[in-house]
Amino acid sequence: MPNSRLHLTPYQRVRRRAFEIMDGAVVDKYSRFVEFFVALLVVANVIGIILESVPEILHAHAAAFHAFDVFSVAVFSLEYVLRVWSGGSKYDIGKPATPNGQAPETWRGRKEYIFSFYGIIDFISTVPFYLQLLFPGADLRVLRMFRLLRIFKLSRYNSAFEDMVAAVKAERDSFSSAVFLLFISCMLFSSLIYIVEGHAQPEVFPSIPAAMHWFSVTIIAGWGNVEPVTYFGTVLVVFTQILSIALAAILTGVVASAYTAQVERREALYEMELREVLADGVVTEEEQEHLKALQAKFGMSDDQVAALVAQMEDEKRVADSKN
Amino acid sequence: MSTPVKASFQTRLMEILDGSPKHTASRYVEWLITTVVLVNCTAVVLDSVPEIHAKYQNFFHALEFWSVMFFTVEYLTRIWSLGAKFGPAEGGAWKGRFQYMFSTFGLVDFFATMPYYLHFFFPYIDLRILRVLRLLRLLKLTKYNTALQDLFRAVYSERKAFGSAVFLLTIATIVSASLMHFAEGRQNPKDFGTIPHSIYWAIVSITSGYGNVEPMTKSGEAIALITGFIGVCMAAIMTGIVASAFANQVARKKAAFEAQLRDVFEDGLMSDAEEAGLKRLQAQYRLTDEQVQAMLLRAQNKASTKG
Repeated sequence: MPNSRLHLTPYQRVRRRAFEIMDGAVVDKYSRFVEFFVALLVVANVIGIILESVPEILHAHAAAFHAFDVFSVAVFSLEYVLRVWSGGSKYDIGKPATPNGQAPETWRGRKEYIFSFYGIIDFISTVPFYLQLLFPGADLRVLRMFRLLRIFKLSRYNSAFEDMVAAVKAERDSFSSAVFLLFISCMLFSSLIYIVEGHAQPEVFPSIPAAMHWFSVTIIAGWGNVEPVTYFGTVLVVFTQILSIALAAILTGVVASAYTAQVERREALYEMELREVLADGVVTEEEQEHLKALQAKFGMSDDQVAALVAQMEDEKRVADSKN
Repeated sequence: MSTPVKASFQTRLMEILDGSPKHTASRYVEWLITTVVLVNCTAVVLDSVPEIHAKYQNFFHALEFWSVMFFTVEYLTRIWSLGAKFGPAEGGAWKGRFQYMFSTFGLVDFFATMPYYLHFFFPYIDLRILRVLRLLRLLKLTKYNTALQDLFRAVYSERKAFGSAVFLLTIATIVSASLMHFAEGRQNPKDFGTIPHSIYWAIVSITSGYGNVEPMTKSGEAIALITGFIGVCMAAIMTGIVASAFANQVARKKAAFEAQLRDVFEDGLMSDAEEAGLKRLQAQYRLTDEQVQAMLLRAQNKASTKG
């Protein structure tokens, strides 16, 4: 790795190092420190936002809260600027420098960060504070809401969120069909109950949107707090409640099978890597480290890995004896 | 079918309306129909709000008129173009047409559109029935959702397990409703006066848990708690069945794909045609590239150990 950055100018090398630290591309004690510090500050911010909403606490410590907010915004602004600046180094490894000393794809890396999910989160969770300085009369509640977005900065350091997104993405067809089912049944049932009960209980079902509200409550909580008065209405309510169990079952089933598939996919990936490593018959130290890192990332147990290795050795023995 | 030119146009139209991936136009047709259906459903919902209805009545009328025209043209085009499905030897033009007209989607298309014309003939017909039938247009969308059809197939393949779950649910409902009627019918005639009333209570308790009617006797309390507990068990059983149905379906698809792979590797090499076939199968089964890669490696390994 170090050889590949020989062509970089000193400025680029500094920027590259900043990128590695900020992005966690190379895990060392500096990047760990940045990660820990940002995470700590985010947690402190969220606690601060919650405490601020209690009037007594806010009145007693208004100055402290304000000072803390200014400090946080300063740190997060610095973080944002550093990330944008160092993002220019994302693609400079292995590329020749242009005569003016700039690596060719400086803005590609930066744009990628600025328009990524976390780039947008970093931006809109910090910038509203400056708006407040420019427009002192702005509605503070909206700004406070944006501040709460800082909590998403944490998910950068936690793979659980990404796992979930990946699992859902892989099964997006099943999810969308479950959502579609929910949508169709919402339209059908709320229209039907409006038609059947709208005349009998105009205060509960004055329009289809009102009936959709009833449907949502019934589907989520199982009991919409409305007594039907007609016989057909009773039948509809009963069906809606049974549907609520069925939809919950379908969604749970989809999630369960999505997670199972995700685990399988990872095992397949690990198996692929393992095969590649074992293909030449020699396992170098570097390869071993790589496998260890992958195992930790995928959360696989030692037993699983041992079983895979044993299986592969068996296969090899069979192949050798045939040859 | 008098000239070949007309026949080929008819065939193409049939394929486009059928959503065949051969033509780019079929995707536009799909989008257009989906959009019109969604606009229609939004209009039905908004039209039911009295304030909005008073203000935009004319607009909603015009929208309904033009949508019905659109769906009528769609329906007639489908019927006409499906004449090309079977040649004269296979049963003639009307075989394909009847097949469509009496299929689920054909009936949905018909009943979602045609009732509009009824009120030209019967001006005093109850409009609410027409409105219900208009909602059938939503079901037109299911034609384009293959994942939904997958879901139904998964549920269908586990229909025995579902049947027994429904059977259990029925028994639990009737038993707890009857018990509750005998225990509390006299103290609380409003909720438990008859067994049908108690059945309503039992279904609510099983689906959404204990608590919508406060029991008055000790035995009633016990029955209500047990009914609530049965509800939790029912939810667990249903969830388990659906989850295993999904898992089984995924396993089935993978097995089918793997069998195909093994066929391909039988002769030790993969031709372009074979590769394209596998790609199509992968898209159809919605397998990810990694899954396929892993299977490919396994198949290659098997082939090399055999050879």
